[in-house]
Amino acid sequence: MPEKFKFAFMPSGSCGGCEIAVVDIDEVILKVAELADIVYWPTALDFKDKDLEAIPDGGITVGFFNGAVRNDHDVHHAKLMRQKSQVLVAFGACAQMGGIPSLGNFWTTEDLAHRMYDTVPSVVNPEGTRPQLKYDVPEGELTLPRAMDRTYALDQVVNVDYYLPGCPPQPKWIIAAVEAVAKGELPPKGTVIAGTKAVCDECPRERTEEKQVTAFKRIHLVENDPKKCFLEQGIMCCGPATRDGCEAACIVAGQACRGCFGPTDNVNDMGAKLASAIASIVVADTRDEADRILSQLDDPAGYFYRFGLARSMLGVQRGELKGDK
Amino acid sequence: MKKIEIDPISRLEGHGKIAIFLDDAGDVANAYLQIPELRGFEQFCVGRPVEEVPRIVPRICGV
Repeated sequence: MPEKFKFAFMPSGSCGGCEIAVVDIDEVILKVAELADIVYWPTALDFKDKDLEAIPDGGITVGFFNGAVRNDHDVHHAKLMRQKSQVLVAFGACAQMGGIPSLGNFWTTEDLAHRMYDTVPSVVNPEGTRPQLKYDVPEGELTLPRAMDRTYALDQVVNVDYYLPGCPPQPKWIIAAVEAVAKGELPPKGTVIAGTKAVCDECPRERTEEKQVTAFKRIHLVENDPKKCFLEQGIMCCGPATRDGCEAACIVAGQACRGCFGPTDNVNDMGAKLASAIASIVVADTRDEADRILSQLDDPAGYFYRFGLARSMLGVQRGELKGDK
Repeated sequence: MKKIEIDPISRLEGHGKIAIFLDDAGDVANAYLQIPELRGFEQFCVGRPVEEVPRIVPRICGV
């Protein structure tokens, strides 16, 4: 009887969606169960840190780490998973590039805490109470992990072998990854397990060869033509610089792409790549005309870095926050 | 007092941690639920276009 693989799933600064994605492979989970034992999955089963610590180094065949690295427990978990796993997969957009939580990197951690605990309209906190790393209650001591200075992607903390992108990843690619493990046919280290082109290649909408943007408009100002390219109608879409493999799922559902599969090959800073991709398809004869059209884009930071701000070369907000924006 | 920590709480989206203090008789003296997570949705949605917010906040909980 060939020995079964050992799989582990570690969540961190995550929403749970990646673990639901695993469950979304439906009956294929039975094939996975034939192939592998799940030796650690605290979200689904009663595993705790001590169970992971007890696994010998390299005792996990493939570790799937989802969620961004947001606090010092996440850093500890990332290091543990790297130590215990022969192959470590950054599972989902957060692990790959910071994900939605990394939008917080436009502010300092203190700015985020100030909003959450002091200024949010629904919070009443006149004494400015904050969570403490250590706190004495009458019965003893309580502890909390420390938030890092910002959100990190997994490969900024440990070496990562593969990436399964998406927010959430799609069952077909999860299954493809498991099959590759089963057959012993893993691709070269560093591979992103998804398509190799841009979303535009899978997009069902009609567009001109070059895509031509003559204006940017908010959606309520557009007579939305469901057959025509979003960008050519003036609606921002990240398709040109986003890796495909998702079968243009959002576009099929009537929404423009927001880049959750991450960039195409050889791109580290997706926001920078998107900025250049979008600017290159703007139709303008003069610099002034180009500036005029690009200034119509209402939230470039949020469009270009929706899922990938942790990997931005621009770094993070360190200065004083001006106003509430 | 003896402290039992359940960390993380299984089958829960989002990190939750429970600290249970037992007295000498082994009965629960007190229990504390803690949320050891900070992501900052309340701040990083500020300034985003309103039509984008329904695409951002579902990532609070993917379940």
